[in-house]
Amino acid sequence: MVLEATMICIDNSEWTRNGDYSPSRFQAQAEAVNLICGAKTQSNPENTVGVLTMAGKGVRVLVTPTSDLGKILSCMHGLEIGGELNLTAGIQVAQLALKHRQNKKQQQRIIVFAGSPIKYDKKTLEAIGRKLKKNSVSLDIVDFGECDDGKPEKLETLISVVNNNDSSHIVRVPPGPNALSDVLMSTPIFTGDGDGGSGFAAAAAAAAAGGMSGFDFGVDPNIDPELALALRVSMEEERARQEAAAKKAAEEAAKQEKEGEQASSSHDATMAEPDSSSASAVDDKRHKLTDDETALLEQALAMSMDDPKSTNVAVADTDMSEATADDQELAFALQMSVQDNVKDSSTHSEMSKALEDQSFVSSILNSLPGVDPNDASVKDLLASLQGQSEPLQKQNEDKPENEGDK
Amino acid sequence: MASVVSAAMPRSQVDLVDFVDWSGVECLNQSTSHSLDNALKQGYRDDDGLHLESDADEQLLIYIPFTQVIKLHSVIIKGPEEEGPKTVKLFANKEHMGFSNANDYVPSDSIALSPENLKGTPVNLKYVKFQSVRSLTIFIEDNQGGNDISKIQKIVLCGTTVDTTNMKDLKKIEEH
Repeated sequence: MVLEATMICIDNSEWTRNGDYSPSRFQAQAEAVNLICGAKTQSNPENTVGVLTMAGKGVRVLVTPTSDLGKILSCMHGLEIGGELNLTAGIQVAQLALKHRQNKKQQQRIIVFAGSPIKYDKKTLEAIGRKLKKNSVSLDIVDFGECDDGKPEKLETLISVVNNNDSSHIVRVPPGPNALSDVLMSTPIFTGDGDGGSGFAAAAAAAAAGGMSGFDFGVDPNIDPELALALRVSMEEERARQEAAAKKAAEEAAKQEKEGEQASSSHDATMAEPDSSSASAVDDKRHKLTDDETALLEQALAMSMDDPKSTNVAVADTDMSEATADDQELAFALQMSVQDNVKDSSTHSEMSKALEDQSFVSSILNSLPGVDPNDASVKDLLASLQGQSEPLQKQNEDKPENEGDK
Repeated sequence: MASVVSAAMPRSQVDLVDFVDWSGVECLNQSTSHSLDNALKQGYRDDDGLHLESDADEQLLIYIPFTQVIKLHSVIIKGPEEEGPKTVKLFANKEHMGFSNANDYVPSDSIALSPENLKGTPVNLKYVKFQSVRSLTIFIEDNQGGNDISKIQKIVLCGTTVDTTNMKDLKKIEEH
């Protein structure tokens, strides 16, 4: 998880036209670059990566260090092959680009792809290496393609001069059937120093092997991050919508009330008293809460199929228990509103009868923590409850009264 | 004030090591085994076995931010005779300098250390240039013997903080 700014130096010289890596050296290099960019940005979202080309007409910076993966990937298109590799200039320009990075707290790193022969002598390379070390820039070299005499040794010297605490690495990739990117994935260039991109590397390896099976939605978030993000967001939205719909259905189920024991069992659950009945209710609630989504969905389905009984108790449990998880007064208010809705319908007479029972209500209130039944306001409420229950069953004018009572 | 015995500090100046913001301290071109803490931190700097060493070449760039604004009066730099620093340039309030632009800016003060200084005699700075210092950059350009490696045993910064400066004391010191 090291905070890093990386400059990737691409070799687009004539030597990379060769096809000893499939499909061509240049293509293999481009894939490797894509993977590295993804790995870096994944290991730490504040990491920045920049790209420059070293051959062609001259050293050219394609994109300065940025954390925008799309920009980096898009600039890899339309690159032309040609010219000769200018390693020293490339590294110096990379160093300059890193020096002017926006976040000075980032560590500096240069990754060089060297596919063509190196025409510089060791001394020049050593001088460059020393400058890198002095400015605490780490260097990674990917040695592929041409292997003329002296190239591996020159690059080794360069790495040894720059190396400070094993932060610089060199990887030699011989030509063969394995893709350049696959070979790189197991190297410390990908995995960083210690942990870091190894998780990503494993996922990428799985993807490469199983054809993108490792990623959600079958879309590689590194190849197409926006699509993956859009899919993920829409999935979450759908889930949230379903949850909201299920909750609504649950509340409606609570309205279609129940006998006194159902009410009492739900009250027991909310109070979490050490009763055997409440224990089972609590377990029930816990079970329901863990399978929250699926349970709610099932209940919604059952509701639509007009099967209230089986779902009511559980739903009442979750509904009430959710309420009191937050706030005792809120629970009380919810109870009140439930009672209101209860009184609206003719089938709710049983509930109101239960509530009419003064002793029953006061016993419940006694066990509610934070509610003092001797409190004047509570007493008023109780009295109003009683006064309401009778006319409500005949009239529909409970609402204004209720609001006045509250 | 400059003729004071080596270890003693000028009156009312304090050792600013307490005001160093350690999270932002940086040193370019230091060797990993001999790092800046050996020269700067209390306890380490008095241990003669521990010193700060340069790595790839003899130059060192040390960046020290402070937790509050300070006035810098003098510095004490101790080092061995041959590898101790010679030309030292100090920059006040310059963030994130590199070796490439170290010579582009005019230093707030530039001192040439004598072997006397390397034994612990404080070097007085141009006090007027260091009146409100939030961060200090020390650029060690070369060393006494012209070696490839510079070694420093101790760096002590003497000065006062702006907030707790006692005005009465200041009047007594200023003898210009």
